[in-house]
Amino acid sequence: MSVRLNLFAMIGSILLLLVILELIRRKYLRERYSLIWIVTGTLFLLLSIRVDLLHGISNFLGFSIPSNALFFFGILFLILIILGLSVITSRLAEKNKILTQEVVLLKKRVADLEKSNDIPKSNL
Amino acid sequence: MKTLVIIPVFNEEKTLRGVISGIRASLPQADILVVNDGSTDSTGNIAREEGVLILEHPYNMGIGATMQTGFLYALRNGYDIAIQVDGDGQHYPECLPPLMKPLLMGQSNLVIGSRYLLDGGFKSTLLRKLGIKFFTSLVWIFTGKRITDPTSGFRAMDRKGLELFSEEYPSDYPEVEALISANRRGLLFQEIPTMMRDRQGGTSSIGILSALYYMVKVTLSISIGFFRRVK
Repeated sequence: MSVRLNLFAMIGSILLLLVILELIRRKYLRERYSLIWIVTGTLFLLLSIRVDLLHGISNFLGFSIPSNALFFFGILFLILIILGLSVITSRLAEKNKILTQEVVLLKKRVADLEKSNDIPKSNL
Repeated sequence: MKTLVIIPVFNEEKTLRGVISGIRASLPQADILVVNDGSTDSTGNIAREEGVLILEHPYNMGIGATMQTGFLYALRNGYDIAIQVDGDGQHYPECLPPLMKPLLMGQSNLVIGSRYLLDGGFKSTLLRKLGIKFFTSLVWIFTGKRITDPTSGFRAMDRKGLELFSEEYPSDYPEVEALISANRRGLLFQEIPTMMRDRQGGTSSIGILSALYYMVKVTLSISIGFFRRVK
């Protein structure tokens, strides 16, 4: 890998880390989900500083060129992240359904109570 | 016996009034609950004009979630029996008393009105027949029971059924899965012959692609659910 490319990789990883930290600081990203991104950013940085690590891993696992190892692990990682997101969305959808049903039932209850106690209709 | 007839509706302005008056005529002692699943037409207003109980979803949540909202209402308001009648007019309200009978006699926890038990009772397309056959076999494999019309939405249940389904009921295409989960919890279910006509208004919620999705989704859900521990 050329020195220039190496430098780009380093700058890129540092930027990624900074963006992640800023998102956490602004509370756009919950700490719970941010951990994996901090680990990822750090790993990127580590690999861009110590390119020989990537070569080592790639050789050890038998990839013919190091970039293949990089792509392989990159895609694997993305798949895992997306799977995790699907799990989170499913959980949210279920909670959202339950919440909506409770609200619907409560609104009915409030309307019934208003009617039977002669309370002016609320604007729920 | 406190009885609640639940009508899940999504844009049924053409047929809802007729369905409600039909139910009132054949089951005057029952309360009627319309669960409006985010209709964009005047369905909600019609229900209010008719003076029935009404619950309104703020957005469209699917038939399963809609029925479940109704089950929750029935359970929490002390109803002994809940009956589902579709809002599109394909179920005959005259069949309500026979639908309830097995519940009252303690023979079943869940009764399904089947359009296929009567000879020549209902004309279907070939595709629909194949789909129904598929689900009938699926139910037979997982419960050992022969249900001729497993996707029928014309159903009555007692409190045991309400307790189960208010706890777990699939959001979309719930009918077949509900039978299997009822069976796993040891609930008894049976079919009785009912008449059904073609929908009187609106369009079927099931096209060919969604029919395919229906089959795949239900099969997957049931097969995986088989390995889930019963709570």
